[in-house]
Amino acid sequence: MAAGASAFEGGPDIIVSKGDERDSMVLSMGPQHPSTHGVLRVMLRLDGETVIDAQPEIGYLHTGIEKQAENLFWQQAITVVDRADYLAPLSNSLCYVLAAERLLAIDNIPPRAQVLRVMFAELTRIASHLVWLGTHGMDLGAQSIFMYAFDMRERILRIMEFVTGARMHQSWFRIGGLAIDVPLGFLAEIDDFIAVFCERLTDMRTILEHNIIFKDRMVGVGRIGAADAVSWGLTGPALRASGVNYDVRKAFPYSGYETYDFDVPVYEGGDCYARFIVRLDEMHQAWRIIKQARERFPSGPVVIDDRKIVPPPKTEIQHSMEALIHHFKIVSAGFNVPEGHIYQAVEGPRGEMGMYLTSAGGNKPWRVRWRPPSFYNLQALKKLVIGNLIADVVAIIGSLDPVFGEVDR
Amino acid sequence: MPDSASPDPLTQSATGISARIVAAAGAHFLQAVSRADCDEVALFGDGLLAAVDALRGGGYNLLLDIGVTDHQPLTPRFEVSYHFLSMPLQRISPYATAARFRLRVFPSGDGLALPSLTGRWPNADWAEREAFDMFGVTFDGHPKLTRILMPDDWEGYPLRKDYPLRGFDRLFNPGGRLGAVPPVVES
Repeated sequence: MAAGASAFEGGPDIIVSKGDERDSMVLSMGPQHPSTHGVLRVMLRLDGETVIDAQPEIGYLHTGIEKQAENLFWQQAITVVDRADYLAPLSNSLCYVLAAERLLAIDNIPPRAQVLRVMFAELTRIASHLVWLGTHGMDLGAQSIFMYAFDMRERILRIMEFVTGARMHQSWFRIGGLAIDVPLGFLAEIDDFIAVFCERLTDMRTILEHNIIFKDRMVGVGRIGAADAVSWGLTGPALRASGVNYDVRKAFPYSGYETYDFDVPVYEGGDCYARFIVRLDEMHQAWRIIKQARERFPSGPVVIDDRKIVPPPKTEIQHSMEALIHHFKIVSAGFNVPEGHIYQAVEGPRGEMGMYLTSAGGNKPWRVRWRPPSFYNLQALKKLVIGNLIADVVAIIGSLDPVFGEVDR
Repeated sequence: MPDSASPDPLTQSATGISARIVAAAGAHFLQAVSRADCDEVALFGDGLLAAVDALRGGGYNLLLDIGVTDHQPLTPRFEVSYHFLSMPLQRISPYATAARFRLRVFPSGDGLALPSLTGRWPNADWAEREAFDMFGVTFDGHPKLTRILMPDDWEGYPLRKDYPLRGFDRLFNPGGRLGAVPPVVES
């Protein structure tokens, strides 16, 4: 910090003049700016309309999810873990339950539960990308795309509500399987969605893909090369738009993803437009996976047969004393997980969503450490915006698709 | 607690990159294990930079995450876990070559200081600030080690095990730090 900076003691470095700028000014964008997609504050140093320095400030949505999860039973923590990336709750809980299952050495998740997990993880990915598409389009002045995107998202949320009882924060994945089986009529709903979505996706794509005004705002803006993207720790669509072919579902398969036929879209551009196209392609691939999951859709149970981990069904509790005891034990004391630590990652809508779980052998996780993809993607903002116009900052933030529940946890 | 909080100086068939890290860490090396999720090496903080350079030389070019675990009451109390990913930069990369690696680092001596990785990976910046914010681990050489998620005037390190779930003297604990209402003790 330069001398004479006392007026800004403890404040961001950027507002202290280093004395070598020309007529530059400092602009605080956010934390309540609508295009920052939540509560992000970016301190910008501007030369005219050109950004010469930027400093994102985060932490406005810190809720202590990691601390809360340490103070809940293993199965209770799913409810808070869900709330980190609030646009993709099921991806969060999938990561958590997979990690917990590996610590418990559970490797016999029933096929029906596996298929439903994959299907709903992909539905979640589409729903999350649709929110991004609608808001990103609206940031750049395309108003109608928002309605198209949210119409389709509403269909997905209705399916979620139909199956799990909740539109968001479903907490439907449990250690050992799923909370409940899908209700009667689910297959008709999902068939309906599969039939409609692909065509609607093409519609949405047509609105923006070759739109000259839209492309003018996107092509060549916020460019980052493959080597830089890797050294800044980008993952997910942001990394694949820079020409690096890395997808957790392919590199470290989980939940049977290796048995599905899907492609990983990779583009070389490294700019906002490439990130835009990657996400559109990803929605199509997610639709393909959902279709395959629907085709195989095996019958059978959705939880493992281990009464020490999974509470018995309600109907059994009414007849069996042993079942009642198991239920009571799990609800009141949880279950112990063997000592150990594990890193498990899933491909969330924003990138590698990882979790480093440590168990001390008790009925609560000792430590739940997130690897939040938005946190690392957003950090690269200060590199991406330099040299761009201030109006492009909005496009660049949108193209990184940060979710602040996850950045700040 | 896991074997890990106080690891035995025992090498379990360290091969390949692990062997190079073991050699680089020298006297600061603690343990090398091949786990179900990835290979890992435990070492003291003084050996971190040498180990990281060996990792980088072995193709681990992406710093995935820096996390801290408080093992209280065991010693050493704090473990800083670094996850790395090796990723070929070609467009059509063979997926099988992507691999993860974990370093479990225990700060040397009584202090809580580790060398900063910001000179090698720019994304270590925020990760190290969060580790400092939540646990009080400091990183020598970090350009600006300040709180990132908590307010700048916050007292204490919230994710430490001796920090009560509801805080010391905030809204939900009206007795305050020295008051009649004891902080909620969580097991």
